[in-house]
Amino acid sequence: MKKILAVFALLLLLGSLATAQRILIVAQGTDAVTLDAADITDSPSATVSSHIAETLYELTPEGTIVPLLAESHEVSADGKVWTIRLRQGVTFHDGTPFNAEAVKFNIDRFLDPANAFTFRFLLGRVASVEVVDEYTVRFNLSTTFAPFLAHLTHNSVAIQSPTAIQTFGENYRDNPVGTGPFRFVSWVKGQHIDLATFENYWGERPGIDGVRFLAVPEATTRMALVETGEAHVAVRVPPADVARLDAHPEITVDNTSGVRTIYIYFNHTKEPFTDVRVRRAINHAVDKELITEFLLGGAARPSDAPVAPGIFGYTPVGFYEFNPELARQLLAEAGFPDGFSTTLYSPTGRYVMDIQITEAVQSMLADVGITAEIVTLEWAAYLEITRQAADVNVVPFAMLGWGTVTGDADYGLFPLFHTSEHAPAGSNRSFYSNALVDALLDEARANPDPSLREQLYRDAMQIIWDDAAWLFLHSESQLTAIRDEVQGFVVHPTERFLAHRARFR
Amino acid sequence: MFTYFFRRLLAALPAIFGVIVIVFLIVRLAPGDPALMLAGELATPEILQLTRERLGLDKPWFINTEAFLEQGNPLALFDTQFTAFIVNLAQGDLGASTRTRSPVLTELGNFYPATLELALGAMIVALLIGIPAGLIAAVKPNTIVDYFVTLGALIGVSMPVFWFGLLAILFFSVQLGWFPVAGRGTLAHLVLPAISLGAGSAAIIARMTRSAMLEVLSQDYVRTARAKGLAQRLVINKHAFRNALIPVVTITGLQFGTLMAGAVLTETVFTWPGIGSLLVTSILARDYPVVQGAVLLIAISFIVINLLVDMIYGAIDPRIRYD
Repeated sequence: MKKILAVFALLLLLGSLATAQRILIVAQGTDAVTLDAADITDSPSATVSSHIAETLYELTPEGTIVPLLAESHEVSADGKVWTIRLRQGVTFHDGTPFNAEAVKFNIDRFLDPANAFTFRFLLGRVASVEVVDEYTVRFNLSTTFAPFLAHLTHNSVAIQSPTAIQTFGENYRDNPVGTGPFRFVSWVKGQHIDLATFENYWGERPGIDGVRFLAVPEATTRMALVETGEAHVAVRVPPADVARLDAHPEITVDNTSGVRTIYIYFNHTKEPFTDVRVRRAINHAVDKELITEFLLGGAARPSDAPVAPGIFGYTPVGFYEFNPELARQLLAEAGFPDGFSTTLYSPTGRYVMDIQITEAVQSMLADVGITAEIVTLEWAAYLEITRQAADVNVVPFAMLGWGTVTGDADYGLFPLFHTSEHAPAGSNRSFYSNALVDALLDEARANPDPSLREQLYRDAMQIIWDDAAWLFLHSESQLTAIRDEVQGFVVHPTERFLAHRARFR
Repeated sequence: MFTYFFRRLLAALPAIFGVIVIVFLIVRLAPGDPALMLAGELATPEILQLTRERLGLDKPWFINTEAFLEQGNPLALFDTQFTAFIVNLAQGDLGASTRTRSPVLTELGNFYPATLELALGAMIVALLIGIPAGLIAAVKPNTIVDYFVTLGALIGVSMPVFWFGLLAILFFSVQLGWFPVAGRGTLAHLVLPAISLGAGSAAIIARMTRSAMLEVLSQDYVRTARAKGLAQRLVINKHAFRNALIPVVTITGLQFGTLMAGAVLTETVFTWPGIGSLLVTSILARDYPVVQGAVLLIAISFIVINLLVDMIYGAIDPRIRYD
């Protein structure tokens, strides 16, 4: 009897060793909201979805656009017709073949107003999609739109299985099916999402057998998971924990720059922010390097342009050095030798160290005579109050962030600085308006020539910078704790984390 | 007995209705536009309007005079958000989450069992620690044991639960590796959260047990029992404790009700997927249907627990009769 038990135990052990799964465990800050790519608006959902569903084009971490599910493209002379040739031999996780019909199905669904998908506007200029042949798709745009391919890299335009969407209907959000290297296995709400490697993936097979995404809102708990090894990766490391975790023999903290710019905008319809000298004075009064070093532990990059590096169209256009003397001088010139009072709005807990940065700014402004009273609101209320039209808007000065998720300067500049985008119609809450900037941005989105576009964006950003349209602060970096036994894990500037090339040493 | 139970349940309906009206109103009075939260900051005014219509938020809250004047139909007066909510509720439809598009019942079903598990675990911890501690303190008043129990209760009730929880994780999970850090799954996952959450309740129950027992022990019949020569153990277990139970049961019921409301801080620290976390996430996202549904569920839980407490009174105290 004992012998039988021993053999049985040995077999079990061998069996478990043979099927030992190498699963990468990633601890995120929140649970996904939905896994239907078209409906996703938050980073954790986009991260998970990026493993399951793929887009026609991909934005590499270095900022270049490369074909993914597409192979090549052609643009008509007037820039309005984009013909895209698709990759062949690709299947969805449920066996449905990937082809032009599938692409058309997805794009039509994405654009359907009845679905009211938030990111629908990314393809707002697409008038129609045609199937030319089994592997060729044609997009007919209503106007020329140069950043079109950049917009096709966004996760919400991923191509998902038409069969699955039609079969699952309302429940598709809990049963995503794509062409990616990992297929969906299960989702325990509020806890974790499990993915397994897709054996028939068209590309390079991942070096792991699956991924588990944990939802851990409490930062200390998230770090504890990676310290005990219960997670291999923990995202959003608080700046104060970086030194401690880096010193840990089995953990490295990765610092990757991101595409999110943090700034404090001026309301250009309210005095005294109508005076450029006041705006420049404030830019010189704030020590951004000090903030970056002490509040953010070096995990940020003081701004030298309205958009972050790594974005197409970025060039450094200037830097407002910390100079309180110059600030006081400019204020005096503008008629405020003794400073003035204003209200500074800030969110709390939305961006890394947001309220602490606001408090630092408040004290730096006080040094040059500007008394700023801080008003903070919960996020939903904050969004509402800052979004009001100019004639009823009470907010003179407020902190916000903007992530240029398409990697193209058009997305980082047009919604924030163009006159047509003034709130509440768009996101230009500062009511900045400059006819020349408008013309440059219009031209840059119409003209497909990349070097011309870069020049146009440089010119536009130079005007915006010299105009001190905002109090420019910094672009956020992403701090991620990764255990040393994991290599190849990618932290993408668009705040997604990719396990496609990860492997255990 | 059962008729009493159902009669009490029926009598609770106005209370439940009151809760529904209040939460319906409060969540709409808070600043913040659900359509904006759902569609996102990048949404155009057209998409926002479409979203508002889809969510039924373009209708008035309680009375629709505009529709009435337009159509001349008295029924149109009630074409409002509240009517829609009540009508759906009567059919058992709590609507769908605006955030995830899942039915509210499904969402509640995903998170409620976890809250139940944690509340029960915490309650067991609280009772296992609180009652014996209170008993010992009452039986040996003003001794060192009593002081320790009182001090322990003070610490237990003053300690912030998230602070204690984080310390417990850092010590027992990270340093010693005895328990998993976070999440829900095995019994091992329940230990630290239940202790963190139960500590506060244990303190309260200990104090209540102590004071109730002290009062009972000073009663004449206890003196009689002692004079008769009964052993101390018998005096306590057979005569005194049962009579001290009523206030203890009351406080236990109230504590359990509070725990059922969702221990948000504990859930956040330990990543325990309960109703508290769901409620906070939904409030921040202005997800009206889920907020309404979750608060309704919590109110009903509270009422049912209080009813059960009342039933237990009858079992403990033979003087209480229900008809």
